[in-house]
Amino acid sequence: MLLEYAIVAGVLFGIFYAYLAIGLNLTFGALRIVNLAHGDLVMLGSYLAFELYYAWHWSPLLAIVVAIIPAILVGGAVYLGVAPRLARASDPEMMSLVLFFGVSQIIEALATFGFGSNQRSISSSAFGKHPLAFLGQSYPVMWAVVAATSVPVLLILFAYLSRTKLGRATRAVMASPDEAAAVGINVRRISALTFGIGVALAVGAGSLAIFMLGGVTPTEGVSITVVSFAVIVIGGLGNTLGTVVGGLVFGLASQLTLTFEPNWAALVPYVLLLAVVLIRPSGILSRTSRLA
Amino acid sequence: MANPILAISDLAKSFGGFIALDGVSLELQEGEVVGLVGPNGSGKTTLINVVSGLYAPSRGTVTLGGRPLHGGPPHRVVRSGMNRTFQVPKSLGTLTVGENLRVASAHGAQRRTLEGDPLELVGLAGLERRFANSLNASQQKRLDLARALVTAPQVLLVDELGAGLSPAELDDAAGVLRKLAAAGIALLVVEHLMGFLAKVTSRVLVLNAGQQIFQGSLEEAVRDPQVVQVFLGG
Repeated sequence: MLLEYAIVAGVLFGIFYAYLAIGLNLTFGALRIVNLAHGDLVMLGSYLAFELYYAWHWSPLLAIVVAIIPAILVGGAVYLGVAPRLARASDPEMMSLVLFFGVSQIIEALATFGFGSNQRSISSSAFGKHPLAFLGQSYPVMWAVVAATSVPVLLILFAYLSRTKLGRATRAVMASPDEAAAVGINVRRISALTFGIGVALAVGAGSLAIFMLGGVTPTEGVSITVVSFAVIVIGGLGNTLGTVVGGLVFGLASQLTLTFEPNWAALVPYVLLLAVVLIRPSGILSRTSRLA
Repeated sequence: MANPILAISDLAKSFGGFIALDGVSLELQEGEVVGLVGPNGSGKTTLINVVSGLYAPSRGTVTLGGRPLHGGPPHRVVRSGMNRTFQVPKSLGTLTVGENLRVASAHGAQRRTLEGDPLELVGLAGLERRFANSLNASQQKRLDLARALVTAPQVLLVDELGAGLSPAELDDAAGVLRKLAAAGIALLVVEHLMGFLAKVTSRVLVLNAGQQIFQGSLEEAVRDPQVVQVFLGG
């Protein structure tokens, strides 16, 4: 019975982890930038959800939609502001790490200034008080709500990448910026849009993270970045579809160890990460081809 | 003589202190084919990269149909009517063959595209659903060419299309280039294989150490002492 519980919980958390990390992977895949401020953007999304719920009495999940336009505009503008300077650096990828580490610290400091350092949380009863019964076990209803919210977001993202003109252009830039430019794609504009979408996905995931991680504090950005990074490495860096596999593997590994060997729970997902890096460095889903 | 479709004038490119290209000039008429030859490191691919907008020139101008293009980003060069193929196609490997063409047509084509099926022209018909990175090297080169063609170029820069192709494939590739020229596309063809080049053009531009050392017919080139010295030494 415990095994079924751990598997169901692992899948639900896994879907959430995929959403949590996919913005980071999209940004890395298209721009070769590891956005170390990713977790801090998730954290801001959690505060946005908190404010929407308590100040405006809106559903916290509306943060996913509310954030889209401002995040794309701000993210796109930030990219256009920093990309030319990064491109002139002797080692742009290293410089991007340093730059976004700085951005991460600034966001954390501003969040502490704006929201205080106390943990904020939203009661899980916001989505119903009764636990969900499944296969003889009961689960917090919020877990199912989170998974049921994450799946359509991921499907919309994959449909965008595989079915739309801009999405196909994004995949072309991910495959090779030079060749993408050689077919007439404005690589700079697509990169700015993709960075903006990565920011929007991170902020949107924050509205779910406040439930799945038990609340939000200004300092949790770093740990979210670490989890997201582990998920995208396991699934395959730059492989957006692989992020879903990485999320599920990470979720299942976490929940199975939490259920059977809780003392090891903080360690096992990262042992898995190391194993993937050593045995299959390009990630589990490192097929020669991929859809998105 | 009619106004050239492509005019390259006094083009130069240096990387730090290294001069990769120095004062190259060339004019191409509609439907004309010019071979670009020279030993390794002579600046052939650098010329293609500068003309196609991948690198900004250090000096000189590039005009297409009288409009200046030099220094513009590559996607604008493509949309203006000039495209290139790559010596080693990196291919949009994670897109299918069909998606490669769709994305090129959607973003790069500003005019009517070539008549007929580009995949059929390059011998890739029926492979639309294959991922580009599952194609072999010869097929990737052909996809690179087909993708450039759907952007409806008036000028096409072809970077070593013949390298690695079998004799039969070389004949096919030469046939394709002749068809493109007959359709009015001006071609600048970088090539090491003189036999292949002779099948598609009689006019060559020879580069050595970034400088233009000869421009004229292929026949004259093989008798030119400077060209002979560069290729055969001594």
